[in-house]
Amino acid sequence: MKKTLEIFRYNPEKDEKPYFKTYEVEVYEGMTLLDALNHIRWEQDGTLTYRRSCRSAICGSCAMKINGKTYLACKTQMMDIKSDHVKVEPLPGYEVIKDLVVDMDNFFDKLKRVKPYHITHTPPPEKERLQSPEDFHYINEAADCILCGACVSACPSAWADKEYLGPAALLKAYKFCADTRDEGADERLAIVNDRNGVWRCHYTANCMDACPKDIKITDFIARLRNMLVQDKL
Amino acid sequence: MRYKSGYDFSYKLSVGHVAWILHRLSGLALVFYLGLHIWVISHLNAGPESFNKVMNFLNSPLFKVLEIGLWGVILYHVLNGIRLLLIDFAGGARYHKQLFWVAFLLVLILTVLGAIPFLHHLHILGGK
Repeated sequence: MKKTLEIFRYNPEKDEKPYFKTYEVEVYEGMTLLDALNHIRWEQDGTLTYRRSCRSAICGSCAMKINGKTYLACKTQMMDIKSDHVKVEPLPGYEVIKDLVVDMDNFFDKLKRVKPYHITHTPPPEKERLQSPEDFHYINEAADCILCGACVSACPSAWADKEYLGPAALLKAYKFCADTRDEGADERLAIVNDRNGVWRCHYTANCMDACPKDIKITDFIARLRNMLVQDKL
Repeated sequence: MRYKSGYDFSYKLSVGHVAWILHRLSGLALVFYLGLHIWVISHLNAGPESFNKVMNFLNSPLFKVLEIGLWGVILYHVLNGIRLLLIDFAGGARYHKQLFWVAFLLVLILTVLGAIPFLHHLHILGGK
């Protein structure tokens, strides 16, 4: 069975404008979109550029727009795509470096702004800071994030507002604020309590659809808001 | 300047996305209605004659039908607003799609139920 892949191509050194190039690939049971891209790069067109690493949905490199939705190429089964025509584009809302590779600097800058590390004021115990399984339950789901950027790319608020922290950074802020070992919640909440922070989210919930790890990101943004509101009451 | 896609209109519309767009549009419609409403009421300042004149104009069948639309717009804005409150305070984000369809169904049912008195008034369903 053959499927056509219509792939976004753009080399800023050569092309004035981006264009789409079509490739035909023989698909088989178990073939992922990443396998198909590899097949094109190795057998048909060596100039096709995309990010890839682990091919098992844990490194977060291969997020792209697939038939109008953001997802990981390595987690998309070619057989699961109903149409015989697959349109592959880079993540929306980012600058394109080449073909399917986008500039993620802005994404990681925003992540750094929410202080994604443990902040502690009490002296460290003799061994490590312990956490009970019950307490881990609060951050278990939020800790699954692989920083692929699909959520930010699916978010209309992020398309329109360059300064918006975005779902990934807010999820990370929640993860550390809800962590019982962390003591920097106040600092972090002060950062996200901003018109470009949690309040820019309009509950479109595109991020939850886009998330390849099935994290209910919107719910965690709501919980961050609750932390802020309870702080004031 | 490198190529960048900004507003992405080619992105597939999800349930939450549509709910948000409709909420914005219904909000704008309500703001417009509020202005119109104040303008109509302000005719009271100029005495009963002026007010009756504008009310006669608004009693035309066209505006009666538009009022049914207004009723639907209010219902959507209120019920989706409750959905947003549930997302805010009751963990509703996990069920936001189901919540949208419940709200949407209620909007349809209540719009039809609410339209009956309007249509009676227009003598479409009988009445005085």
